Amino acid sequence: MNNLDLIKMALGNLLRRKTRTLLTILGVVIGTSSIVVMLSLGIAMDYSFKEQLSRMGSLNLIDVNNYGFYGEGIAPGGGKDLKLDDHAVNSIRQIQGVQGVMPIKTAYVRIVAGKMMGNLPVIGIQPELMEVFDFKVETGRLLMASDKDAIVFGKQITMNFYNPRLRNPQFGPMGPEPPKIDLMNNKLILTTSMEYGERRMAGVERDPNQKPPKLYKVKGVGILQESQSEKDYNAYMHMDTLQKILEESQRTEQGEGQRRRGSQQNDQYERVSVKVEDINQVEAVQEQIKTMGFQPFSLTDMLKSMKETSRKMQAILGGIGAVSLFVAAIGITNTMVMSIYERTREIGVMKVLGADLTDIRKLFLLEAGMIGFGGGLLGLVLSYLISLGLNKIGGGFLGGMGGNTGISVIPFQLAMAALAFSTIVGLVSGFSPARRAMNLSALEAIRSE
Amino acid sequence: MVNIQNVRKVYKIGEERVVALNDISLKIHPEEICCFLGTSGSGKSTLLNIMAGLEKPTKGTITIQGKKIEKMSEKEVTKFRQKNIGFVFQSYNLLPSLTALENVSLPLTFRGVPKNMRDRIAMEMLESVGLKKHIAHKPSQMSGGQQQRVGIARAFVSKPPIVFADEPTGNLDSKTTEEVMSLMLNMAREYKQTLILVTHDKSIAEFADRIVYILDGNIEKVEEKGLMKGAGIE
Ligand SMILES: Nc1ncnc2c1ncn2[C@@H]1O[C@H](COP(=O)(O)OP(=O)(O)O)[C@@H](O)[C@H]1O
Ligand SMILES: [Mg+2]
Repeated sequence: MNNLDLIKMALGNLLRRKTRTLLTILGVVIGTSSIVVMLSLGIAMDYSFKEQLSRMGSLNLIDVNNYGFYGEGIAPGGGKDLKLDDHAVNSIRQIQGVQGVMPIKTAYVRIVAGKMMGNLPVIGIQPELMEVFDFKVETGRLLMASDKDAIVFGKQITMNFYNPRLRNPQFGPMGPEPPKIDLMNNKLILTTSMEYGERRMAGVERDPNQKPPKLYKVKGVGILQESQSEKDYNAYMHMDTLQKILEESQRTEQGEGQRRRGSQQNDQYERVSVKVEDINQVEAVQEQIKTMGFQPFSLTDMLKSMKETSRKMQAILGGIGAVSLFVAAIGITNTMVMSIYERTREIGVMKVLGADLTDIRKLFLLEAGMIGFGGGLLGLVLSYLISLGLNKIGGGFLGGMGGNTGISVIPFQLAMAALAFSTIVGLVSGFSPARRAMNLSALEAIRSE
Repeated sequence: MVNIQNVRKVYKIGEERVVALNDISLKIHPEEICCFLGTSGSGKSTLLNIMAGLEKPTKGTITIQGKKIEKMSEKEVTKFRQKNIGFVFQSYNLLPSLTALENVSLPLTFRGVPKNMRDRIAMEMLESVGLKKHIAHKPSQMSGGQQQRVGIARAFVSKPPIVFADEPTGNLDSKTTEEVMSLMLNMAREYKQTLILVTHDKSIAEFADRIVYILDGNIEKVEEKGLMKGAGIE
């Protein structure tokens, strides 16, 4: 028999018993959609973890901090003299898979722009690393190697500015509206003194010995794109300039400067940010940095444990769905066996008239497979509808946490896999009945009245 | 054509043994119309089924066109039937879900003949059994005689060298019986096929070239009908 005839005949047989076929298919529909919907919840969880994390920063980044580096085996404070300095930066750069290493120093400075004034962290950075580390400007440009006195601002940095002459300085993110300030065109004065520009309070004597704070003229060259990360809240300038400012401030106002910058030493960096080419290498690179004695941290780290959680979740949810598909599989087998009882005579006649044994087996497998496939297809439609509904309803109260992801996600691969799976379930369920039909004695069959 | 040699068939039902066929030997010639006649329970159907390879003999051999049927596997015997044997059943055995046309073309479908070709052949067959107007009818919409004519068209559609018919008129009235019998005989003669009939009805046996009387699993006697042999067979 050619395949088209087989398919037609199988379809005809299914259509002959519409109610029973539909009920059997319904079982598969429920089974498939419960698996798909359950898994989609787990997948959505995975996605939203990822989304949340990537909002916190890039997943390719590893941060190494200038504190807490006592790895396994090294007692705190004892043993190695470990410094997060140029030497360490170089060794990290040697690790395979590392695309760039950005040493970071931070100074808390005050910037005065016209009438406005703001305290903000300025990070020293090597300008050529900005592109590697995905800095993107919204207006202006990034830093260049020749920029000694240029600053690039994070998107949210304007929030730090206020007008000290106003009675109720509206500053900070709590302010009713962001302060209007043009950091690109105004002349900017930068200082490390946190008293600069304040009105002096009556009765407080100025210490005559204290030198006036050193002022630096700087210019804003760019505003970064909003990235929902720490980049939004920092300003960036050339590492060399920052280094100079820090040194000078230490000289002029020893006490205060020291306090502000904590235990930072001049030849050491506060933090080193490492960019890894491929997300899959992050773990290995991190492991290497750990063996150097540092305590690296990455979001991938977190992602791993989150993924672990969602995998367990998916296994449980998928298991629940699998039970209902298993029940559906029993339904298919039952339907096929019943169908054989009903069609015993027919099968016998077909055999006597010369139907190939394999054709008879194929016919029954095809019928079971069609139930599986049809059920899977309808199940997918139902799954997408349920998913849509869940996201409509559940999106509301989980919106803050779930972000754009929603609480149910059905990726194309899951849909295809589900369709393949339900078809296979159909075929497997039909296997034994099909064999039975094939091995039926033709004579017994036509004799049965 | 068909050579039956010392065929014996014994059924075991629990402790009891039923000898359906004792020791049967017979040669059936090409293009012959041969009828097995005997009372109910004499073993006619058993013999026919063994000849068609639907059942294996306890002893003896069946040779059709030089091939030993009882030695074939089920797969081989199915293929063999597909190519060489047509069947007419007492209870018609049409597939209830198929139309007359589809029922007739079924043996061609099993052989993998393309649809347009098999529809054409099946149509011709239905026309020659006088059911041109009923091609789209389901079996349930036809009378017994019409159903059996569809059955005959189906048995002959693939022009098999041998057609078996087990009590083909057992469920029909006498007038329809006559129509159906002459239809079968004409077809067999037209296509030069061997027709092997089984019946308990003497009047039907009269149509055959040779009547083989079966009694309790043995051949009682063989009656050649010189009149019908005029066609120059043997
Ligand atoms: N499958 C079987 N199992 C047991 N006995 C059988 C079977 N088939 C036929 N018989 C017995 O064999 C004998 C011959 O049966 P059968 O060939 O059907 O006779 P006929 O067709 O001449 O009426 C009967 O006694 C019948 O009971
Ligand atoms: Mg009989």
